[in-house]
Amino acid sequence: MLTMLAKLLKALNSESAPWQIALALTLSMIIGLTPLWSLHNIVILLLAMIIRVNLSAFFLGILVFTILGMAVVDIWSIQVGEALLTRPDLQAMWTELYAQDIWRMLAFNHTLTLGGLCIAAIAFIPVFFLSLVFVRLYRQRVLNWVNKLKITQMLKASNFYSLYQKFAE
Amino acid sequence: MKQWIRWSGLLGFIAVTALLVVIFVLALPWLIKGSIEYIGTEVAGAKVSVDDVDVTFNPLGVTLNRLQVADAREPMRNLVEFTQADAQLELAPLLLGKGIIRDLGVSHLQFNTERTESGAIAKPTAEEVAAEAAKKAAEEPLVSVEDLPSADEILAREPLKTTAAGEAMEATYKQRKADVEAAAASVPSQADLAKYEAELKALTSGSFSSLEDFKQRKAKFDELKKRFKADQAAVQQARDVIQASRKDIQLAAANLKNAPGEDLAYLRDKYQLNASGAANITGLLFGDQAAEWASQALYWYELISPYLASDGEEESEVIEDSRLTGRFVHFPSNDPWPEFLIRNAHITGPFDGGYLVINGRDLTHQQDVTQRSSVLTITGDKLQRVGDLNSVITLDHRQQPATDSATLTISDWRLAPVNLGIAGAELASSRVQVKADAQVVAGKLNATADATVRDATFSGAGKTTFAREMNQALAGITEFTVNAGAKGNLLTPKIEFGSDLDKQLSKAFNQRIRAKQDELEAKLHTRLTAQIAQYGGDYAGELQQLAAMDGSMGDRFNALKDMAGQQLEDFTAQKEREAKAKVDAEKAAVQAKIDAEKAAAKAEADRKKKEAEQQAKDKLKKLF
Repeated sequence: MLTMLAKLLKALNSESAPWQIALALTLSMIIGLTPLWSLHNIVILLLAMIIRVNLSAFFLGILVFTILGMAVVDIWSIQVGEALLTRPDLQAMWTELYAQDIWRMLAFNHTLTLGGLCIAAIAFIPVFFLSLVFVRLYRQRVLNWVNKLKITQMLKASNFYSLYQKFAE
Repeated sequence: MKQWIRWSGLLGFIAVTALLVVIFVLALPWLIKGSIEYIGTEVAGAKVSVDDVDVTFNPLGVTLNRLQVADAREPMRNLVEFTQADAQLELAPLLLGKGIIRDLGVSHLQFNTERTESGAIAKPTAEEVAAEAAKKAAEEPLVSVEDLPSADEILAREPLKTTAAGEAMEATYKQRKADVEAAAASVPSQADLAKYEAELKALTSGSFSSLEDFKQRKAKFDELKKRFKADQAAVQQARDVIQASRKDIQLAAANLKNAPGEDLAYLRDKYQLNASGAANITGLLFGDQAAEWASQALYWYELISPYLASDGEEESEVIEDSRLTGRFVHFPSNDPWPEFLIRNAHITGPFDGGYLVINGRDLTHQQDVTQRSSVLTITGDKLQRVGDLNSVITLDHRQQPATDSATLTISDWRLAPVNLGIAGAELASSRVQVKADAQVVAGKLNATADATVRDATFSGAGKTTFAREMNQALAGITEFTVNAGAKGNLLTPKIEFGSDLDKQLSKAFNQRIRAKQDELEAKLHTRLTAQIAQYGGDYAGELQQLAAMDGSMGDRFNALKDMAGQQLEDFTAQKEREAKAKVDAEKAAVQAKIDAEKAAAKAEADRKKKEAEQQAKDKLKKLF
């Protein structure tokens, strides 16, 4: 956990492009807000591996968004999924998709999966740009300010900083 | 573009994925074996074991070798076992964690086989063993027709009312006799009464010679009256004792008189020899084997029915749970994916020298997803004793209430010799046609079965008269029908049997049974009467004697009452009475004298008058 956090901080402080970190967080949001053992998550994982996103941000993002999902978002996801799957005017479409194995393998008819995917899809672009802005702001303003903080000085003297340095080298 | 793509990531992904797949594939047989054994043991309540599991990938399938399910009721026996089962799985649903078996083939399925080691998962406690033994003992019939005891055995075994009433009579009589004797001893005898009368006469007769004489008599008289009163009380008490004794002895005698009848009624009811015992042979006609099959079928139905049920409560539980994990919404489809489904099953097993072939279709616990009922068809192949066997079982849990139904047709079933359980008679050979159907709706069973038994031949080794009579009656019967019905709660249905065999045998049975019943009742009656004589004796004579005693006591009481009612005349009053009597006598004498003189004067006057009249008459005659 500490290692992963150190890696994220390194990524935030390093020369990694902000979009790499932002996209990693955004992709991790999809996995975090939907059931982990879903077929679409393998596709997301594959994308994260192939596209040069920051993997530390990606894995830490999965953890953060999973906790967020379980605590808050899952209930909304289920309500959204239930509403969509039981809408009378969408029944024909769902029935058609249900007849195809690939869609059922994607568990589109699972309330949490569909609702979570919908929320993640809606939030995808806003979260990407917010993450982008956050990384840039962090590097421009927060990093210098943080470095001057006494607590940061104290942290630099700790084992955690040694670990961070190890990854920074 | 190079900046965007990370080829090493793709390679890593493929490598990791492949590694996971390899590990999963290698571990899969153990995972499946462990899952079947663990879940199976939980469900069956006894050990479930699989020798080994093979996994194939093209086509995707699982092979189970030798699966044994121990019988929780008899751990040294298997409820079911099979040699091999091949299941072809569908990959797509499996990726979603759904077990969809396209084809399941089970070979050499056997029920109720022996085990080499116990399949119990926990040893029963001593209390459970004792409770089981008590239950078995309670289930055993107390008396069967064969084991009917003799009259002497019955009398020795049963707590009879006659015995109790006889003992009560004896005790009552002894007690009351002592009471009566004690009471009678304190009562004055007839001689005492005569003496009292003499004394009383002496005191009350004659006039008092003097005042002193009067006082002496008065004292004696008062003393005598006191004794009368005491004796009167004693007589009254004796009468009460006698009457109470009579009442008690009469009651005890009545009880003793009624006891044999009550005993006989009780014994007749308990050691019933009516036709129902014999009529029950229709229930035994299909023997232990058929009973075992029925028992097995019911056991399996009970085992699987909880997993088939999907009533309202369960639905609400699922919805409650789905708030955290979500749920699958299903849509109309020709290819539904419930959590578990066997699309087609083909099961064979040795049965009656041939094979039983069971074909299953759409076997699942989620019929609300498949929207198809589960159907099992059972047919016999190359059976030795059965011509054709066909059964269709339909489990329909798509809607509430769930409806499960079964039909069974058996033709040319050559029954093994069946002991009829009475008089050594045996149904030696026969051909049976059976047609049965059953329906379970909301846990209520409604089943009927009609069987026609043809080419029946009976044999009997019994040497008693009854056995001979029965064999003769059976010898003329070659065809009969049996009808059975079961209704009510699935676990405790009301079962009824009917057969025209009963009617055909009824006459012979009834005659013999009536004779035997009469014989037994006569013996019992004789024994009970003997018991009355032993206890009873001549209680009627004793009661008569008590009645006479009661009458005698009444007479004595009245005599004493009369004597006590007499009064001694006062001395002054006696003297006054005597003086008055004297005056009255003198008055009477004077009056008598006056009356005599008056009469003489009157007679003289009458004579003179008659003479004057005569003279007048004579003078008148002379004139004419």
